[in-house]
Amino acid sequence: MRPTAGGDAMRDGGGGRAGRLGSDGRRRPAWLGFAAICAIAVVSSVMMLARREAPPAGASMWLFARLHRDIYVPAVEDWNRTREPTVRMSLLGVQAMEQRTLSSFLSGTRSAELMEVERRIAARAFAGPVESVGFLDLTDRLREEGLLEAINASSFTPWTSRGRIFGLPHDVHPVMLGYRADIVEAAGIDVSTIETWDDFVRTLRPLMYDAGGAKRTDRYLLNLWETHQDVLEMLLLQAGGGIIDERGLPMLDAPVNARVLARAVSWGHGPDRIAADAPYFSAAGNRLLLDGYVLASFVPDWMCNIWRKEIPELGGKVKLMPLPAWEKGGRRTSAWGGTMLGISRDAPNPEECWAFAKHLYLSPELSRRLYTEGDIITPVKAFWSDPVFDEPDAYFGGQARGRAYINLAPQTPPRYNSPFSALALDRLRSAATQLAAYADAHPPATPESLEPEAARLLKAMQADIMRHVRRNRFFAEDAPPDDGVQP
Amino acid sequence: MTRGSDGMDARAGRVGLLACYILVIVATVIIAVPFVWLVCASFKSNADFLLYPFLPRGEGVLGVAWDRLTLDHFRSLFREAGVGRALLNSLVLSSVTAVLATLVCAMGGYALASLEFAGRRLVSNVVMAAVVIPSPLLIAPGFQVLYRLGLLDSYAGLILPAIAPAFGVYLFRQATLSSVPRELLEAARMDACGEVRAFFRVVFPLVQPMVAAFLLMTFLATWNNFLSPQVVLQTPEKMPLAVMIAQLKNVYYQDYGLLMAGTLASILPVGALFLLLQKDFVTGLTSGAVKG
Repeated sequence: MRPTAGGDAMRDGGGGRAGRLGSDGRRRPAWLGFAAICAIAVVSSVMMLARREAPPAGASMWLFARLHRDIYVPAVEDWNRTREPTVRMSLLGVQAMEQRTLSSFLSGTRSAELMEVERRIAARAFAGPVESVGFLDLTDRLREEGLLEAINASSFTPWTSRGRIFGLPHDVHPVMLGYRADIVEAAGIDVSTIETWDDFVRTLRPLMYDAGGAKRTDRYLLNLWETHQDVLEMLLLQAGGGIIDERGLPMLDAPVNARVLARAVSWGHGPDRIAADAPYFSAAGNRLLLDGYVLASFVPDWMCNIWRKEIPELGGKVKLMPLPAWEKGGRRTSAWGGTMLGISRDAPNPEECWAFAKHLYLSPELSRRLYTEGDIITPVKAFWSDPVFDEPDAYFGGQARGRAYINLAPQTPPRYNSPFSALALDRLRSAATQLAAYADAHPPATPESLEPEAARLLKAMQADIMRHVRRNRFFAEDAPPDDGVQP
Repeated sequence: MTRGSDGMDARAGRVGLLACYILVIVATVIIAVPFVWLVCASFKSNADFLLYPFLPRGEGVLGVAWDRLTLDHFRSLFREAGVGRALLNSLVLSSVTAVLATLVCAMGGYALASLEFAGRRLVSNVVMAAVVIPSPLLIAPGFQVLYRLGLLDSYAGLILPAIAPAFGVYLFRQATLSSVPRELLEAARMDACGEVRAFFRVVFPLVQPMVAAFLLMTFLATWNNFLSPQVVLQTPEKMPLAVMIAQLKNVYYQDYGLLMAGTLASILPVGALFLLLQKDFVTGLTSGAVKG
């Protein structure tokens, strides 16, 4: 083709069409940008092809916690030296792991053979019929090998759906109260006399005010707010309530839940306020702890590790005590969080994966490292006698921290799990925030005055979740009939 | 009198210019603060991250503790987190998608604008209607299509759905209508120029500003795309930078320096590319603003 009109247009295309005058008066080639990106495409594609490696051999294991991965490295290297298949660990974000795990379970895309998952991921994986859950059913293996007795019983509950167990528990996660021992002991208060929440409030309330005696609040006793949904759930569990029952159905409307919620909200909004918000997992919250704005916080075993890393300045100033009970003789701890090791139902080598899971989680060396490096108590009861748990911890004022948690471990409540866990937790927070607004609007907000409203709100939230339950044919059979309560 | 009013005009002009400069400088500072903060944070230890908003204070030059700055975050980013591989993945995905999408959209736009064929009006209307569909709405059906085609966990599964966006086809249709004279195309055809050749020799050069703008937009959109790779890809080694950076976030304890170093590493390449192509980008965006 002879370059006629089109070619002319290209040559004198001014106005930014085919080329433009640069600042030095010369035309800048019009195709420069396109050529640059084409060059990037070619060069990067060639580099990628050159780096293409054969698919890695062995089994893959997904984890979400960097700390866990670092702790597992020696055990995995040990396994890979002598056993087959070799295992390679991949660290994923929790969200990424949740999406990939569920996507692989629901659509058949590739997943890892071994997955160390957090409680909420497991809950979502339990949505379908029990025989179609993407994790391998470990119940019979656990029973036959005596592991049901060897491992702390409540540690199985988050990984159990409709009576079947889908994971090997990683932890117990008992909860204690971490308090500012420097302030409490300076006031001559002995926390060992505290048995119930009433004792806690009565004994420590004088520390809320300044030394001059003026009724100005300098600090609050407890780090608790109605938006701390995990903490609220943990308190319900301690009292014998909870958000999900053992059938996997919501149980927000249990009377004990209303009692606890009314009490917790009155602590933040009642006439005798003792609680304040020092947000967990945030720099602002850490600062408030350091400043002594709140005297005590809820500390599961893993939280010790976070405090140690994020608030080293608290070292030597804090100590741990069992949670005050809701009534005399009641439970002195609860549970917060949880992790398991699951095996994909489609893993080509389930027996080898099971052998690896036991090698990792039932190893005494790993249990020790889990405690010394991660502050986490193993759920394997036989390892609880390890002297490492009796060593004094300078950060916590020389207390034998491990022993303190282990003494409470058998009391940890069962925390059941189901596809409705996330929804129930969300509705619990919703009820708590609405109750807080009610408390502000109807002073004086005592636990007794708030309890009927708490019961009403929780019943409405329960009705809302039950609508979802009845739409799930795999859970609807166990659901009670609709009682007509409007959400 | 005239000279006096000229002087006043000149002075007013200078004052206006000065006000403009001040405004631009203030705006630049406001825009630059987060970037400066990001750069500082990526070189600080986690302890200093919480203590100082910018550089850690100390005894060094300008009152800064230079010795407390660290390259550890970048080291662990490239050695442990595998950011090099993710960077390469992002470059391949973004550049290949951008080039293919630009070519396909330009061809589609040209066909809709200049070729006569049965159903052209219907196709144009469908393309226009498709522009208003939000892309998140297409994730679920798109996932099912990719699953049935066996394209999950592959780059083809990410690139193929992205190479003919309705927005791009419509954009190039409008660019062709406004920038390519019909007489020019007729002259080319009379000179026995085929449609493919006419497209590359006549149309493509004339819509070049739009090509540059669309190329850059697609490159940036693919570079920053988090959702699609997260849904479509499964193998960690195939993940692009946006997903890898998100995975640096821990559950409870955060390595802020590592996160900031990762963010910095992810914006530097596109920043450089934008500087290279910014004139074309602006020209492309404004080419339809004044019809001459």
